[in-house]
This record gives sequence, C-alpha cells and structure tokens, in this order.
Amino acid sequence: MIIALLLGTLYGLIIGLIPAAGATTGLVVLFGFMSYFSDPYLGVIFCMAVVAASTTGDTYSGILLGIPGANSAAATMVDGHPLAKQGKATYALTAAITTSTVNGLLWGTLTFALLPWYTKLMMVFGVPEMWAFVMLALACVGFVSNKFWIRSLMAILIGLFLGSIGTNPVTNADRWTFGWEYLGAGIQIMPMVAGLFAFPEILDGWRKQDRTAIAHNTKGQTLDGIKAAWKYRWDSIRGGAIGAFIGFLPGLGGAMGDWMAYGSAVAANPKEEFGKGNIRGVIGSEGANNSQKATSMIPTVLFGIPGASFAAVLMALFMTLGFELGTPDLAYDTRFFDSLTFGFMWATVLVGILCIVFNRYISKISSWPYKYYFPILVVFITWACAQYTGGWEDYAILILCSALGVFCKAYKYSRPALLMAFILAIKVETLTLQLSALYTIDTLMTRPIFIILIITIIAMAALSIRKNKLEYA
Amino acid sequence: MKKLIALCLMAFTTSALADYVFVVPQKPGAGTSQWAAIIAEQLEPFLGEKIHIKHIPGARDIPGFNEFHNSLRVSDKIVMVSHGGNGVSFLQENVDYDYNDYDSIGLMNLNIIAGKAIGADMTHPIFAAGSGMVPEAFAMALLICGNKSTSIDYYIACFGEHVTWVNGMSGGERRLAFKRGELNGTRENPAAYKKHVEPNDKAEIWFHHGILQADGSHADDPNYPGFQLEILFEELWDAPPSGEFYDAYKLVKSFRDGMQKALWVNKGNQNTFALRNALHQMSLDPDAVAAIEAKVGKYEWKIGDEGNAHRDTLMSFITEDALRNLIRFNTEALGLASIFKDHLVIEVEVPTQLEGTDLRG
Repeated sequence: MIIALLLGTLYGLIIGLIPAAGATTGLVVLFGFMSYFSDPYLGVIFCMAVVAASTTGDTYSGILLGIPGANSAAATMVDGHPLAKQGKATYALTAAITTSTVNGLLWGTLTFALLPWYTKLMMVFGVPEMWAFVMLALACVGFVSNKFWIRSLMAILIGLFLGSIGTNPVTNADRWTFGWEYLGAGIQIMPMVAGLFAFPEILDGWRKQDRTAIAHNTKGQTLDGIKAAWKYRWDSIRGGAIGAFIGFLPGLGGAMGDWMAYGSAVAANPKEEFGKGNIRGVIGSEGANNSQKATSMIPTVLFGIPGASFAAVLMALFMTLGFELGTPDLAYDTRFFDSLTFGFMWATVLVGILCIVFNRYISKISSWPYKYYFPILVVFITWACAQYTGGWEDYAILILCSALGVFCKAYKYSRPALLMAFILAIKVETLTLQLSALYTIDTLMTRPIFIILIITIIAMAALSIRKNKLEYA
Repeated sequence: MKKLIALCLMAFTTSALADYVFVVPQKPGAGTSQWAAIIAEQLEPFLGEKIHIKHIPGARDIPGFNEFHNSLRVSDKIVMVSHGGNGVSFLQENVDYDYNDYDSIGLMNLNIIAGKAIGADMTHPIFAAGSGMVPEAFAMALLICGNKSTSIDYYIACFGEHVTWVNGMSGGERRLAFKRGELNGTRENPAAYKKHVEPNDKAEIWFHHGILQADGSHADDPNYPGFQLEILFEELWDAPPSGEFYDAYKLVKSFRDGMQKALWVNKGNQNTFALRNALHQMSLDPDAVAAIEAKVGKYEWKIGDEGNAHRDTLMSFITEDALRNLIRFNTEALGLASIFKDHLVIEVEVPTQLEGTDLRG
C-alpha cells in the first residue's frame, strides 16, 4: 500500500514537473501497466496518488519557467513567473504549494467523507445553471486580458474561433478544418498550451542566452511563503471553493476553475496590481488547483460521468482494474472508497511536504542559464504534445500554435485570454444549443440559481472591463 | 510509397512488427479502446503472440479507420477494431473505408435499449441529438406517427412537430440531463442501460431495436421481451411497420447495432485463420468469457465466416430508396450534413445464400 502510494506520488510529481504535461498525460501513459497490479486496490491508490501529485507538481514549470505544467496551471504563472524573475521563486512556490495542499486536503475530506450526499445536490444544477457558469467564466476572461484592450478582444475572438474548429455540433460535419481531416476533432489542448506559453518563453530565453532570475538568496523565503498562504487565506479559500464547485460540475473542470479563481482574486482586490508578481494572484488560482481534482471525483464515482478530462482517463483505468464507476455495486465496496481517499489524501500530504522541503533547491533552476535545460524542455514538451496521434500532424499543430504564441507575446495579444476563450468556445456553443432547445424565458425565470448567476455575470463583466490593467501578454 | 512509409512508421511506433497490432480509431480510455484492450488481453494466450494497441483518434472516429483502409491493412499483422458509429458513418458520410474489402475475424452483434421517464408523455419526447441517435429518431418517429402514411415527407413533418431534438449533448451530459428530468428519453447499450437507467427508480424501458438475425430479420431481446419496436408498433397501430421509412430505419439500426464492436483484417490476410481460430478458442474458454463479460457485458459473438455472412446481410439492406430516405430524414428532420453515396448502392450484390429470402423481416 505504502509502496503504491510512494511510487504514484513520485511518478505524478515527475509528470507534473514536465511542462505542458499534467494529470491526463500521466494517466494515459499508465494503460499498459495496470495489469501489473496483483491487487486492484493498489492500482486505485497508485492512480489517485498520480492525480494528486501531478496537480501539485505542475505549479513548478509555471512559476519557474513561465511555462504552465498543464493548462490549469497557466493562471498561477501570470503572477508566479514575475515573482521568480524577481528572485522570489521559493516564496511563490511555497505559497502556491501550501495553498494547493491545504485546499486539496480540505476539499478532499469534504468530497470523500460526504460522497453519497452530493447526488441530490447535483440534481439541482441543470443546463441553465451550467450555461450560466460557462458564461461567468467567459466574463472572467476580461480579468486575464491585458491593458491593450483591442488586442485582448482580438485574442478572445481568435481563441473562440480556434476553439470552434472541429465538428459542428448540429450538423456533425467538419467545420473550418480547411480540408484537413486531423482538425475534425479540433485543436488539442496540449499543443495549444505549449505553443502559446512554452515555446515563446523557451525561445525568448534561448535568444537572450539568459536565466529566469538573477542569483538570489532563498533563505527565509520558505517561511515567508507559508506565512503568505495564511495571510491571504481568504483568497485561498475563495479560490478553493470556486475550484471545488467547478470540479463538481461535470465537463467544466480544468482551466476554467483556475482562471475563475484568479479572476475572482483580481476582482476582490481592486486596489492591487496583478500580473507583475502579486502573491495573491498565485494563491487565488492555486486554491482551485487541487480542490477541483478532488471534487471532479464526485460525478465520476457517483454517476460514472467524468468531471474532467483526467477523470475520463481515470475511469477507463479503473475499469481495466475491474472497478466500474457509477454502478450501484461499487457503493458498497468500502475498500474501494478507502483506497480512493488514502491515495489522494496521503499523496497530497506527501507531495506537499516534499515540495516545501525541497523548494529552495528546486527553485535554483531559475538561476541557471536556459542553455543548460533548453533541450530537455523541448524534448519533454514535444513528447507531451505528441500523445494524441503521435503522427506528424501533432508536430505540425505544435509548430503552428508556437508561431501564434510567439506572435501574441511579441505584439501583446493576451495569451491567457486567448487560451481561456479557446477552452470555453465549444462549451458556450453546445450549452447555448441545449438551453435554447429545452427552456424558454418564462421557465428560466423560475430558476433562482440561474437568475443569481446572470446578475453575477453582468457585474463581473462590467468589473472586468473597468479593471482591465494586466500587462502580461 | 505512402504505404511503405506508413508501415515503416508503424514498425517504429510499435515495439516489434512481428507482434499483432490492433488499430483503434479512438483515444485511450474511450469505449472501443477499453473493449479492444480487454479482448487483446484475453486473446493473446490463444494467439500465442503479443498484441499492441495503436490508437489513431480523430473526428467521429473516422481517420483511424481510413488510415487502416488506405495504408495499414496491407500488413498481415494489423487488425482493425471498429464500432457501430463507424457503420453509421459508412452509410452517410464521406469515408474511405469499405467493409466489403475486409474479412471479419469476429464481431459482437448487440441491441440498443431506449429508456423513458415514468409517466412522461412520449408522444412529445425530449431527446439528445447526434449522429449516433439516428436509429432512435427513426424509431420514435415510427411509434409516434404510426402508419397514417408511409412516405418520408410525412415522417419528417411529424418528427418536427412532436420531438424536441437537443443538439450539443455529450454522453455524460445526456445521462445527467435524463436523471434530472430535462430529457424524458435516453438510450444505452445493454451494459450501460443496466448501469445508468435500470437503477433509476424514475425510469423504465421505452423500446429496443431487436437483435439482427442471420436471415435479416430482427428478433426480440429475451432480456427485455415485448419491447422491440416492431412489437410495440403493431400493438399501437394494429399492423407491423412497413414502407420506405421503415426500410431506412432497418438499414441504419442494423449498421449501428449489428457491428457494434468488430475486428477486421484485409481480404487475403495470411493470418486470418490463426486470428479466427484464436478468437474461437477464446470464446469457448469460460475464464476468458467470464473476464470479458464482467467488464463489457454479455454480447453475442459472430466469428469468422459467420461474421462475414453477418456483414453481407447488412450490405443487403442498402437499397437506393432506403439510403436516399435515410439521408433525407437526416438532413431535413435532424439537421445532419449527411451525403448520399450512390456507389454504395451500385457496389452491393445480394449474397447467394440470401437470394430469394425476404430481407424485410
């Protein structure tokens, strides 16, 4: 049991450290190895440890290199990387990991202890509420846009367009694929994240032959990071609650929760400047990170309906172990639930401790010149992005997305806004189709949660336009 | 040259070309990928060789099958794993693959079950849309609109009047929306029906499509007796379903359900016998069967020539009228961008063993 936990934690941490890879990539690789678990419950512990550890680990590349570990960690990077450039990488990492660990434990406890209770709660959220949540996330795009508002608007439009490439949800025909069959399934998220964020930063570092940060004294930064996590606990708790809620709603998880949590931190602190190294931006978004991984397990376990992309892969892995999620029989398997809880919670604790202890050493990478680790980064990122088909098309898309990323960075088109619009595009479209088919204005007016959300969207949209000060592109 | 390059790439991406490769047109973790992994694991000991899974995902699971058809199938070690959705795409979309060019190793012939909310008015169903739901759209149009007319125009108009067709729903969203009561109907394969619909105390069976027989007819499902569409139709409308609309329904439901999961190799593949033999041995092994049934449910296997005969039966349903009506209903009632492929009609020849039989059930 302990060995499965340790191996899962270490493997997850390594995957989390690889730029552009995350829990989903880490789990996909495991399909060939599931048969090695003589006891399937050990497989459950291992997989849950991978999920928890990779989620915590993907913070590193975002903060240290300005390259998100996975799409969800991109929000952390906006303020985390500027802190690293200022020589405060250990401080930012410790604050991020403390927040992520505490929220993982808090929401993990609430998730696994009260799992059966959520069935009724989930029934309250229908298509209108899901639609309103997606629109709320879209309103939050304003907070991650930069001060060049026309270019930000362009970035959002480009993101929406790129996100809608693929299959038309009404006609089921290819849309805007320019005759390229590969694009029929849409542009994959990993090359988009890597292209927008990873390669522009790597090229920049390579071109300057520079290091991320000047040599700095890391002494005291670990303690300061923990103190910051406590000092800004409300940003952390708010971020955690947002992440937990988004994770709970099937199909919405991933980046949406983190960006919304980041947006809420910006909105809640109107007098502060973000995007230049504000620790509250790091804490706000990291709060959502592990909490949504925990709550994504609710629809996955209870209904067999994956809460996020990693949960869909996890479900398939569990099936190969003989556990079919969402079946009534599983509800009586206490050992299964114990294994889920044990794997996630202890891996969260373990990776949290490991990271905090070693942060000051790991963060020294930001003082090394890029040339020492540039080739390794390129290899790992390319590997992560070629996990879709493994064919030349994966590489071609990565090159195209990288060109877009370099362009956006050079000409100050907001990359976070572009990414978020890209992620939300298809959700906005499909949920609008569902809403218009199933509801009328009259029936929508009878749903109080929907009405509250609509009012919040209007307020957030207005605030995000007014508060649009980020310089990060 | 293209074929050579593709084969070289396959050899590079799999650890050894000497091993068998199952080509799956989906990402790891998707339904058919899971099925392929389980079958490969159970089949290996009987085959005596390793089986690698090669995932070639893409839109509507078409590119992987196209790649098999265009380049990979020339290798005697490559086996295609397909599903019912590929069958529907074969009828109504631009695809390269063609079942006539392959030999069946084995296939699973199954039934799809539709559930409804107890007490719901099923003359006005609210149902998730999608190309995978086309047979259900035909079935509900038959049940609701009856036999006042058998023309396709009548059913298109009637469907539009009665059915709320909800676009843009994924499988997960559909299941939740049905549980919440936003949809009053849903459909699942037998294993998923047991998991998602049977435990729901607010749901009950609505209809099923029946199980395709060797003579081209559809039989009632012993697990859900009396709920086959043809039986319900006759009870409601005092006559069995017939006519051009019903022929189009039979065509599309048979192509989806009759080849729900299938293994194919190129015609003339040197290893066909070995693969069929291994699958046959596996199907007789109680431990292997129990392992498969525990994970994917209990389905009827058609192995070897039986699989080819099954495919030929399906092909015999492709008549010009049935195909045209399928495309018309798809485009005009369901809004799908389907295309009529006249070469399908020209290609089909009625197999000798079926000549003279009434294929309309």
